Amino acid sequence: MQQKKMAAPCGRMTSRPLLQFLSRFSRSPVGNTGFRQFSSATVCRAAFQINEAAERANSPWTLVAAVYLQRLPVISADCSPIEQQFKQMLHQIELEKSVLSDHELRLLEDAERMSRKQADDYDSDEEDSHGDQEIMMAQDLEDIWEQKMKSFQPAPRVRADVDKDLTSAERCLADSLVLLAEQEVGDEKLWLLPQTRWQEGETLRQTAERALTSLPAAGFKATFLGNAPCGVYKYKLPKAIRTENSIGTKVFFFKAILADGAPPKTKKAPFLWVKKSELQKYLKPAYMMKVERFILDL
Amino acid sequence: MNPVFRKVQASVAQQALLLNKSLTPCRVAPSIRHPVWCTHSVNERQYKGMPTHGIGRWKYLLPKQAPRKKKDKQQMKQIMSATDTAYGTLNVNVSGYDMTVVEHYSQYIHNFCNRLGIKVADSYALPTKSTEVMLMQEQGTKTYVDAVLKTHHRVIQLSTLNAALCPVFMDVLLKNQPEGVQLSVTEHTEADFQARFKARPELEGLIAQMNQ
Repeated sequence: MQQKKMAAPCGRMTSRPLLQFLSRFSRSPVGNTGFRQFSSATVCRAAFQINEAAERANSPWTLVAAVYLQRLPVISADCSPIEQQFKQMLHQIELEKSVLSDHELRLLEDAERMSRKQADDYDSDEEDSHGDQEIMMAQDLEDIWEQKMKSFQPAPRVRADVDKDLTSAERCLADSLVLLAEQEVGDEKLWLLPQTRWQEGETLRQTAERALTSLPAAGFKATFLGNAPCGVYKYKLPKAIRTENSIGTKVFFFKAILADGAPPKTKKAPFLWVKKSELQKYLKPAYMMKVERFILDL
Repeated sequence: MNPVFRKVQASVAQQALLLNKSLTPCRVAPSIRHPVWCTHSVNERQYKGMPTHGIGRWKYLLPKQAPRKKKDKQQMKQIMSATDTAYGTLNVNVSGYDMTVVEHYSQYIHNFCNRLGIKVADSYALPTKSTEVMLMQEQGTKTYVDAVLKTHHRVIQLSTLNAALCPVFMDVLLKNQPEGVQLSVTEHTEADFQARFKARPELEGLIAQMNQ
């Protein structure tokens, strides 16, 4: 009997030609506040070979794919005091080293012209005629811009009430958040990254995509970052339940980024958006150890 | 009168003789061993036989460089195609309005690739595109130019990207993306390469004429 530790899908993954992908990630404030805009299109998706099904042995491990869905930070993080001081100093140095811009030169010229006009011996024929510059002075332009600036209201960077609501995807805009779902594993309900069992004839990445779409209620649109899993967690079943055919489970994690579109918030959906520092409260320690290795806390 | 001229002539001739005499020793270059005037005639070259002859030569030590032609047509680098475990030639395109931010971000990506061992094939900039923002005037139907926005592009071309490394790489890039900067990852095609060149209408006209 063939005893293979690595079951078929992993082998199949290496022989399957890769998905080519075209993605555009833009970080502009236009649009929804909580999300970046994504557009992705699969250029070509070659079919994979299923002949390896014959090779597969009956592996005693059940395979599960989980999706690590993150909402990327929307605004840049605040600077620490040292960073702020340094930033100020650099700004000052740059200002002192810089040269006057066109607008500033225009301001100076206009001021000079005004002072010349008001002098007693002013002869307007001597002046070079700048047609429209005399109508719209640079100072007037500045005043118009100042007024427009005052009428612009930027959105608040930090909203304390939204930050405390763990189910909202718009909390903590400066950090990246992970989606946790409460799922039943065995007999108990646990908080973990959304996962489903692998089925025959599909790749692990498709399983992960299915895990995302099969989540109750919330329709999350995600862009998967790659075909290769980023982490693995395996656990053995307690000895009482262990049989010949099932020793335990291997969970493969796939990275994905939350795409555009705020999902409709249903009140009782068992989802949480947590930062990496808050993960410890919800995940089991052994699971947490494997998961935190691939969560980047940048 | 005449004796005066003769004297002058004589003195001129004497001076010429003196000059000649002083010139001949100068023609022999004063060498180190035999300082100045001594025994050598004009035809004996002293310096080639000296032990320190050619002591300052260094160009013969350099490796031979093939002579470069001036007009070398830009050849496209080989476009790698995707294999089972790696992506082919990818273009990481960074664009935005603020040039310092865009440039710094592209430099960050380049350094990051160097650190991770991802081979960077090319790193270039595409021409800046200017966009004029025109606003309607409040009274009247004419639009006037409000602002000129310049979009800067930087491209980093990676020759291959390992599939297992790809999610990590993309994750880090996205997490460090500054505000106001668009990031896009595409495959490199020949059309992309040709788009960088300027069109030469006269050349194309001549070629068309030749082919007809």
